[in-house]
Amino acid sequence: MKNRFIQRYSKALIVFLFSVLSTLAYGQEISGDAANGKTLFNANCASCHKLDKKAIGPALGDVTERRSTEWLVKWIVNNAELRASGDEEAIAIFEEYNGSVMPAFPGLSEQDVMDILVYTVEGQKKAAPEEAGTGAVAGGEPVEPDNTVPLLILGAILAFLVYLLVTVKNTLKRVQGQPTTSLAEDANIITRTALKNPKIVTLLTILIAIVFFQQLYIALMSVGISEKYQPSQPIKFSHELHAGQNQIDCNYCHYGARKGKHSNIPSAGVCMNCHMQVQEGPKYGTEEIAKIYAAVGWDPETYQYIEGYEQKPIKWIRIHNLPDLAYFNHSQHVTAGQIACQTCHGPIQEMEEVYQYSSLTMGWCVNCHRETQVQVKSNDYYTEMHEKLKEKYGEDAQITVEMIGGLECGKCHY
Amino acid sequence: MAETKKYWKGIEELTNSETMEKLRANEFGEVSTEDFLGDKEKLSESSTTRRDFLKYMGFSTAAATLAACEAPIVESIPYVVTPEEVIPGIPDFYATSFYDGHDYASIIVKTREGRPIKVENNTEAGINGGANARVHASVLNLYDATRLQQPMINGEKAAWSDLDAALGKELAAANGKQVVFLTSTVLSPTTKKLIKAFGAQYANFKHVSFDPFSYSGKLDAIAAAKGKRALPMYKFQHADVIVGVGADFLGDWIGQGVSADYASRRKPGKKMSRHIQFEANMSLTGASADKRHKIRASEMGATLVGLHNEIAALKGAAKLAGGASNAQVKAAAKELVKAGSKALVVSGSNSADIEAVTISINDLLGNGGTTIDYTTRTYFRQGDDKAMTALIADMNSGKVGALLIDNLNPAYVLAGNTKFAKGMEKVGTTVYFSEKNDETAQLCKYVCAKHNYLESWGDAKPADGIYSLQQPVIRPLFDTRQMEGCLLKWMGGTQNYYDYLTANWNTGILGGTRWDKALHDGVYTSTLGTMVVAETPEEPGFIERIFGTEEAEETNNTAYSASAAAGRLVSIKPKDFDLSFYRKAGMGVGNLANNPWLQELPDPITRVTWDNYLTISAADALELGLKNWTESNGALDGDRVNLKANGRMLENVPVLIQPGQAKGTLGLAVGYGRKGAGKVANGVGVNAYAVMDGTHEITGATISKVEEGYHEFACSQLAHTMMGRKIVNETSLDTYLNGDPAKWNEKMFFETHKGPLSAEETNLWDDFDHQTGHMWNMSIDLNLCNGCGACVIACHSENNVPVVGKEEMRINRNMHWLRIDRYYSSDMTEEKAEEEGVGVIDKFDQMEDPSANPEVVFQPVMCQHCNHAPCETVCPVAATTHSSEGLNHMTYNRCIGTRYCANNCPYKVRRFNWFQYSENPGRFGLNYSMNDDLGRMVLNPDVTVRARGVMEKCSMCIQRTQAGKLAAKRKGEPLKDGAIKTACQQACDTGAIVFGDVNNTDSQVFALKQDKRMYHLLEEVGTQPSVFYQTKVRNRA
Repeated sequence: MKNRFIQRYSKALIVFLFSVLSTLAYGQEISGDAANGKTLFNANCASCHKLDKKAIGPALGDVTERRSTEWLVKWIVNNAELRASGDEEAIAIFEEYNGSVMPAFPGLSEQDVMDILVYTVEGQKKAAPEEAGTGAVAGGEPVEPDNTVPLLILGAILAFLVYLLVTVKNTLKRVQGQPTTSLAEDANIITRTALKNPKIVTLLTILIAIVFFQQLYIALMSVGISEKYQPSQPIKFSHELHAGQNQIDCNYCHYGARKGKHSNIPSAGVCMNCHMQVQEGPKYGTEEIAKIYAAVGWDPETYQYIEGYEQKPIKWIRIHNLPDLAYFNHSQHVTAGQIACQTCHGPIQEMEEVYQYSSLTMGWCVNCHRETQVQVKSNDYYTEMHEKLKEKYGEDAQITVEMIGGLECGKCHY
Repeated sequence: MAETKKYWKGIEELTNSETMEKLRANEFGEVSTEDFLGDKEKLSESSTTRRDFLKYMGFSTAAATLAACEAPIVESIPYVVTPEEVIPGIPDFYATSFYDGHDYASIIVKTREGRPIKVENNTEAGINGGANARVHASVLNLYDATRLQQPMINGEKAAWSDLDAALGKELAAANGKQVVFLTSTVLSPTTKKLIKAFGAQYANFKHVSFDPFSYSGKLDAIAAAKGKRALPMYKFQHADVIVGVGADFLGDWIGQGVSADYASRRKPGKKMSRHIQFEANMSLTGASADKRHKIRASEMGATLVGLHNEIAALKGAAKLAGGASNAQVKAAAKELVKAGSKALVVSGSNSADIEAVTISINDLLGNGGTTIDYTTRTYFRQGDDKAMTALIADMNSGKVGALLIDNLNPAYVLAGNTKFAKGMEKVGTTVYFSEKNDETAQLCKYVCAKHNYLESWGDAKPADGIYSLQQPVIRPLFDTRQMEGCLLKWMGGTQNYYDYLTANWNTGILGGTRWDKALHDGVYTSTLGTMVVAETPEEPGFIERIFGTEEAEETNNTAYSASAAAGRLVSIKPKDFDLSFYRKAGMGVGNLANNPWLQELPDPITRVTWDNYLTISAADALELGLKNWTESNGALDGDRVNLKANGRMLENVPVLIQPGQAKGTLGLAVGYGRKGAGKVANGVGVNAYAVMDGTHEITGATISKVEEGYHEFACSQLAHTMMGRKIVNETSLDTYLNGDPAKWNEKMFFETHKGPLSAEETNLWDDFDHQTGHMWNMSIDLNLCNGCGACVIACHSENNVPVVGKEEMRINRNMHWLRIDRYYSSDMTEEKAEEEGVGVIDKFDQMEDPSANPEVVFQPVMCQHCNHAPCETVCPVAATTHSSEGLNHMTYNRCIGTRYCANNCPYKVRRFNWFQYSENPGRFGLNYSMNDDLGRMVLNPDVTVRARGVMEKCSMCIQRTQAGKLAAKRKGEPLKDGAIKTACQQACDTGAIVFGDVNNTDSQVFALKQDKRMYHLLEEVGTQPSVFYQTKVRNRA
């Protein structure tokens, strides 16, 4: 009895509250937890709504000023019901957005809705100064630690010490009544004595020759190797953001890697799967994303593809260039070999701008083939082969790629 | 007639000034060495010393090297929106049909990123699922830059809208006069329907079919005897005894692909068929026959009559008058009668008389329904010579207002018929649907640039109840339209041909089954129960048209009766030379002539490339003083003759002496001597059509030797015989069934300290481990190989094999990874020499000469993938190495081109890149598959295009084995036998080539390796090849 009474009471209370609130609706008398609101907004609303502009649904920044809170709650919890009840406002907005259906959120309590609405107000206020902030940082490259100043200081100290030493030495000599020598004269004498000593000369020659040939060797061996190659791309696409922060699976965009030879660069169409909604990035704002729209012909204002648009493919700069004479198949490594992308491509999820992590030399390939174990146990393809390999290498032998012929020329060169 | 205008470059040239003369004489401003080195004084004054020169040289080399270190920036451009079916790097396969008016095949096309790159056989096809060499090569013709890229009016480039408008008016004006649609045989039921609908607009419309290599006479005889003007279905798989008279059914015959059916009965055993061939030219079919008899082409009729009479005598039936009989014919008749309804007699020729007698023989044998099916018809070669003759007459008398030509190049194939060209001038409006600006296009006012077959929609009904679909596998490359699209447009509708086609299929053909499924399979077999094919009613038969319906029955009995035909046939008297026209495996009737792969495909019999020539018997050549000889560089030369036939002259025809050519006969291939096919084909060979008059063989041809000059051949095999060695192991069926395999398939044993050991066990080196993992082996059955060459083209296409051109081919620098060696038997054998006491030198001398009527064997040879490879041990840089899977790897980027390996290879299968064959249009521009941007689209992206100076050879399609293994790994299941097929194996419709893993004891190749026919090529060398052959067994009675 008591429970029912409380229920009824609370209902009445809410109705009362609402009626009070509705009179004050345009006066912004709502309260709630903006932080909780933000979490809920991001989880439930952000895919279709933005605060400051139209997306699939209308901008919500000033929604509390446009609509009564009571109406908003009804709409948010179950807009279809509201429309069915014949609410003109609801039907009008539904038609304005070409009948895009907004799902019902029966799981949201009234307080949740309040929190969200509070966030729409608070969030909008914060947005402006934040934007100014990002603008200032934008364009700032990650700064490498600058060693010039400490080095200069060290150099100065060293020069001072040398000066001190020479002064002390000359002072001592003057004290002894000997003639003083300048620093240049000292150096001259020492060099001349040294050059007259054949042992020192031989040693020096050998040293210089070693250094020269070692440097030459390093230079020659690096010909054609593009390790650390980091060209700037037509779009400042950040793997750090997409693969790192947003945790998007590599295979979502590079879907070819599992299936075929190429780990394809995704077409702009794939970008659009997300960027139809996500029209603004945290770092470059709309600038970079606009380049995708320019490629596919998408009008973010009308939320439509432009008819008859001449699509322009994005000309990415290829980073990993294997020569034509080497055949490399991604699916062999990714699917059959179960190798993680990072093994060859490095910490891609941390790269703001991608660079070539591995040397891609044949020595590098061969080393890996010598060390990497084959998935003999989990893949039935190898079952029979594995039995024979056990006979050959022992029961517990680790079967490497080399053991199954992975170092043979024709496996990669044909 | 083109005007001979003179263009001058400037006014100086016109006035012919002295400076101009000087400039012309020294165009490139060359200075002779004398001029700058001869002047000693000046030279001594010069401050440049030898040391300086070396310094500059060293510096520039270093500078160039350094400059090359900078890696170029490579762009990687993805699709804007990836098509759903494309995953970069993974091929898509589409079922479609090939039909060019002559060849028909149901095929699968492999595409990579939207580019068709290879044609494969459609194994699900009910008929013609095995494409021939031409169809396999046809994918290259798509990328021919000399294709028409837009329509033309009066030889000028035009827009489609202009053409539509102008032609619409002219066609309307032509109504009243005859409007004629001239095509080769139309196989497509939907196109037929459309042509009919198009014709309905005109009061006087005719559709004339005409085939370049016509079987009109054959069809007329069939129509008279069997009531319908259509070919019967030949069923070689049911034939115990086959007698062919001038019918090259394994090469190029009536359009029905019979090689697979034929081969199904050629495996040695109790069920092996027996095949006897009577023919004048040495054909592929004659080469495969168990017994081949030479007859003059003009004796074909008499031989058939003789055969008829011998059979009639044995069966106690009525004989025909006359006929030539001899022991050979008698023996053949006996065997045929013994086989009864399981016998089959087939003839070539365009003569109704010959077919009438052939029908009569088959009827005597009672094989209707077993080996010949007159109820299930095929619809190839529907052309009607008489209708064509009538059309030419009408054209000349000015009755034809408009002539539309499709799928036929009449100006070329009627080159000898001057009336056609004259008639064309009198036709008001000429419209030509063509892919090329060819001989006919030059005579026509409106030339409608046509889609390639790979860009078109279409269908075909090759036989009763069997349908196939054609679908585009690439967007049209140029501003072209398909013929059907033009007709629909000109009929004023808005429907496109795809809609027209689907509508026709859904209402008429499919009978409720799904279009998607038919399109996916490429073929659709209509079961008799659901055959509700709403076809256009049969046009009145040939007899009805000529003689009227009432007389038809009577005429049937008289004009085309066997007795009347026999009477005419036996009265043919051979005069001078008989000339038989034939079609080469590579060229057919010449439709795809501008295809370098096909031009370079060696003729299976003569092994000559880039040519046609008059084949002549050695005896006749000796009489006329005609010779073939070899140059010191290994090139073949020959005399030339002027050929007179049908009252016309063909000058400077090269002569090639052909073993097995009947004395008194000549052979000449059609399809060459092009003028408007494109840079590859133009000027290659002579045009046989110029002396051909529809019939395939004529008598009364004369030749006279041209004393001046000689012809240069590009022949890829000069050795005709095996010189008594066991290169092809051969035996007879009787020996195979009853003899001891150790005798007829002798294995080599070597004396070692361990006792006698087989070649497999005798090793100088340690063995590789070939028990773990895969061990690839290939079996080649010499009984099933008929030498057709489809595998060679498939290999070309799969492995980016370069075309080297006639000059290089001439000196044996061909690049074919797979060659088909052809050997003739010789009259001299080791045994005979011993018996007759012939000396060694004489013996080998005579062994070199093939018999006058030799037995022929074909042997496909590619890298044998030796497990003790002689090439591997001599490579100084280890560029060719052995794999654990039994293959011999060739690493191009490691090769430095010493060619030691090729010298040490006992099989001579290694090919050296003497030149840069790709991206070298100046020298190898004819090979457009590697030298222009459009042509290069045909290259297989999974195979390296080799550079100059490296060795290459068959890799056993390692890209396919690797891909097959990977597919199994990705699925996580063991590799299934048959999952990996090499390109040559896929192309071989007789199943002669089988590839697989011999470590898998359930595999087909494992079973074949245990076969008692198995032998290794040059086993005694001890190379232990991974390729093995199956002994050739001839059914010698």
